[in-house]
Amino acid sequence: MIEYILKIKRKIRPVWQDRWVWNMAWRDARHNLSRLFLLIASLITGIAAVVSIGSLNYSLQGALDQNAKELLGADLVINSNKKFGTDITDYLDTAKLTTAGDAEMASMVMFMNSGQSRLVKLMALSGDFPFYGSLVTQPSDAYARMKTGRYAMLDESLAKQFEVSSDDSIKIGNTVFKVAGVVTKIPGGGALTSTIAPAVYIAMQTLDSTGLVQFGSRVSYRLFVKTNNKKETETTINGIKPITKKAGYSYETVEGRKEGLGRSFRSVYQFFSLLAFIALILGCIGVASSVHIYAREKRDEVAVLRCIGSSGWQAFNIYFIQIFFLGLIGSAIGATLGAGIQKIIPVVFKDFIPVDLPFTISWEAVAEGMLLGAVVSVLFAILPLVSIRFVPPLTVLRADATPVKMFSKMRWSAILLIALFPVLAAAYQTSSWVTGLAFSAGLAVALGLLALVAWGLLKLVRRFFPKNARFAFRHALSNLYRPNNQTQVLMITIGLGGFIIATLNIIQHSLLGQVEFTGNTNQSNTILFDIQPSQKEGVITLIKDNKLPLNQIVPIVTCRIQELKGRKVEELIADTVNKVPSWALTREYRVTYRDSLHRSEELTKGKLHSFEPGKKDSVWVTISEGMQDQLHVDVGDSLVFDIQGVPLRVRISGIRKVEWPKDPPNFIFVFPMGVIDQAPQIWVATTRVDEVKGANRFQQELVTAYPNVSLIDLRLVLSTVEDLFGKISIVIRFLALFSIVTGLVVLAGAVVNSKFVRIRENVLLRTIGARTRQIMQITLMEYAYLGVFSALTGIVLSLGGGWALCRFFFEVQMGVAWGDLATVGGAVVLLTVFIGWFNSREVISTPPLQILRKE
Amino acid sequence: MAEILLAAENLTKAYPSGDKKLVVLDQVSFTVEQGSRLAIIGPSGSGKTTLLGLCAGLDVPTSGTVSLMGFKLNAMDEDDRAYLRNQFTGFVFQNFQLLSTLTALENVMVPLELRGERHVQPKAKELLDRVGLGDRLHHYPSQLSGGEQQRVAIARAFITSPKILFADEPTGNLDEENAQQIIDLLFGINGEEKTTLVLVTHNLELAQKTDRILQMKGGRIVDERRTLVS
Repeated sequence: MIEYILKIKRKIRPVWQDRWVWNMAWRDARHNLSRLFLLIASLITGIAAVVSIGSLNYSLQGALDQNAKELLGADLVINSNKKFGTDITDYLDTAKLTTAGDAEMASMVMFMNSGQSRLVKLMALSGDFPFYGSLVTQPSDAYARMKTGRYAMLDESLAKQFEVSSDDSIKIGNTVFKVAGVVTKIPGGGALTSTIAPAVYIAMQTLDSTGLVQFGSRVSYRLFVKTNNKKETETTINGIKPITKKAGYSYETVEGRKEGLGRSFRSVYQFFSLLAFIALILGCIGVASSVHIYAREKRDEVAVLRCIGSSGWQAFNIYFIQIFFLGLIGSAIGATLGAGIQKIIPVVFKDFIPVDLPFTISWEAVAEGMLLGAVVSVLFAILPLVSIRFVPPLTVLRADATPVKMFSKMRWSAILLIALFPVLAAAYQTSSWVTGLAFSAGLAVALGLLALVAWGLLKLVRRFFPKNARFAFRHALSNLYRPNNQTQVLMITIGLGGFIIATLNIIQHSLLGQVEFTGNTNQSNTILFDIQPSQKEGVITLIKDNKLPLNQIVPIVTCRIQELKGRKVEELIADTVNKVPSWALTREYRVTYRDSLHRSEELTKGKLHSFEPGKKDSVWVTISEGMQDQLHVDVGDSLVFDIQGVPLRVRISGIRKVEWPKDPPNFIFVFPMGVIDQAPQIWVATTRVDEVKGANRFQQELVTAYPNVSLIDLRLVLSTVEDLFGKISIVIRFLALFSIVTGLVVLAGAVVNSKFVRIRENVLLRTIGARTRQIMQITLMEYAYLGVFSALTGIVLSLGGGWALCRFFFEVQMGVAWGDLATVGGAVVLLTVFIGWFNSREVISTPPLQILRKE
Repeated sequence: MAEILLAAENLTKAYPSGDKKLVVLDQVSFTVEQGSRLAIIGPSGSGKTTLLGLCAGLDVPTSGTVSLMGFKLNAMDEDDRAYLRNQFTGFVFQNFQLLSTLTALENVMVPLELRGERHVQPKAKELLDRVGLGDRLHHYPSQLSGGEQQRVAIARAFITSPKILFADEPTGNLDEENAQQIIDLLFGINGEEKTTLVLVTHNLELAQKTDRILQMKGGRIVDERRTLVS
């Protein structure tokens, strides 16, 4: 009977003490650097995106902190929609505080050089605004000159658009102003603000001469206050509180503005950082996919190592060390690149940022990026790498030897951590667990759907395989189904970039389409407002003289709510349980009167009541759906309106659903005829002008005859919206580019990693007589197929995503610019073919014998 | 009587093949004494390589036992068997199985380095000198011919002074001239080191150089004979 020894005593060295493992890691890496570089390149773009966005956030926070006062231009700003009373000015004078002021309103401006006119934001300034920061003009003395009399300054974009120079004049209301210069920078302003509402600046003392401030004109007034310190600001706020409450003024402090801006930027930052996060996740897919292929290729070598005595852990550690260090290098390169990109970011984002953004490297963001890179490289490498531990040594004798199925704690821990990673990382990026969870779920759904579409496409092609097509077509197509080709992963990664850009395009097109649609289908595309009763007939005649249709002429009466369901507004504001927002209670309402519904309205509840004189409680008004929710009122509820000093009790008779963009003006409250007809009012007229020349002539005549009447050209609104979208989409495209680049890096990595498989295939093809041209054709076609499938994956999903966003979020009809989508698809295909070809040159051009020898 | 180094007892290896079991080795038993040379011959599919794999602990039998140096291989886990291989065995394969990313010298050093030994380079150089590759130390496998690669493999196999050397068709991929050189080297060093040799081959002439031949067919040992050498 033979006696066996069942246990062997072996020394197990921890990885940091196992010299052999470190030696082998280095020796093996020397020859795989190019392949491993592609592996880490997947990380680089993701980390670069995260670091650049992180840096932007830190820089922006820093800049907002440093320039907080500059954002407001003062320590305190008091706002009012009527002229300030002496109570507040007396208080500020007594407190010996320096003040400045402005009045802001919409007005038509006629450019005398061309006779053209445009609706602008007119700002009349008084005092030495700004107290902080500077109002930069060109020429530099323009501001001082403006203060001296009838001089005006224009926003730079406006001056450029109408080619106005310093020698020109503009007509505002009844007065002609000489142009003193252009404003290039103003506290609180920005390129985006001037795109939406370009401004013209005049001195306050000249405002009355324009004749623009009339009854019913909507003018906002501000008082800028300079204090000597924070304490004085607080004292002032406490002092003015009773006055502001009584007079209905509001005020804003530097802290308030900073917080508000911080909140806005946090939302924007969250959105951008999530886009960067997508690039990072793509990078993760790239890392996992590259390591997966790498681990498979290393199988034979691992079997040899196992055969000569290496343990499973030792073999694993060799490749883990490589991946870990290359992950660190990749993260460092990514972080450096990200910090570099930050230099470009202020250029891309300049229109959105109200402060100067200096180029500073945020070491915090760099450190975060490096840490994130290290975590990603380890986490996403472990799962595919863990298979190395279980490579059977028998593989040295039989290539098809299969590993014994074993439970691996490490594998399951990695799966768990990978599942948790997106949630943790997104929550960290956005500083919100809810956003993190929601985004991770969204991303999982998006990736799942992309995978589903990719899988479906591949199945479909296999099902309807073109069996009778030419050899090259068939062969290239069947190459996509080659084992380990990672076709589906590539379709997802490249498709995701295409998906983001295509979805953006669909949203942009749909929203623009909505404005265009409104412009095209509405009877009116030109709105004239602020028409005084005395001007009404004249304006109608002018419209008719210009052979334009008078589509609407609507009276507008301004009023405020005094009582709601029997409770005074002051009482409701003081009541903490009250659910009605105070802005809805204190705002000024512009109402009209008529006994019928407009074409943009539909009565969803109640009925229309005409006024019956002499009857008690006979004033019945209708309310729009949205405001009915805000005010928490229903049919039958009572309100008391203050109609320019006269209280009027009304009851709600019906609720209207209003399509606001359709045929404006539309109204929240509509009174019946015969109740407020005699109240002070202004009129709005609408018409349709189709011809540009005619439009210019009409505007010119209108501004000349009725300078206080303003005109909104819906076509101009459309071009403004287009301009705005152009600016936003540059930023989003810039960030989506990271995803595209990562997708392409993953593609390049996969191409290089599968090079040897393709070399073997090509050698076989050459052996049986394929020419270089044919191999080239097959290779290019393979990548063209991949590009087409990836683009289709992205575009198909973007149509679904775009539809959902349009339907449920933007609530507009989806519009698709097929030409644009084809361009996106074409660009994806071209890039894919280029990357594929670039990395396959060696495969195509090397003679078979040379490759066989190498092999 | 010489000590028994390797003992196989009722070794059976079967693989599932559809609904059936494919028996590759069927109740094989034999022993190998220390310092002896054993050749396993037989036609393709007779189970030679499977038997070699089981004897070297590269695989585990479906039933039966293998003991190497007194260690019962099938009672050990994969890492223990790997350790045992590193301590006591050497391998030479038909397709050389060199690590492509390592130079000839590094390939030879690996098994000793794996043991945690230091300053192994002189010994590796000496062995490479012995196999006639003293001037090709820093060449990578892809820069060497088949015969040269197999010589590196032989140097690697002997660097640990193994108790037993497993060779699977060591000349199967070589031309006649190279094959003869490899046979001379393998048997030469084996003789000098007094290493036990288990050799799987198709080549009857090569098998005749060993002490004993096991003839296999259909997963069973059908003949066992001593050679003239013994």
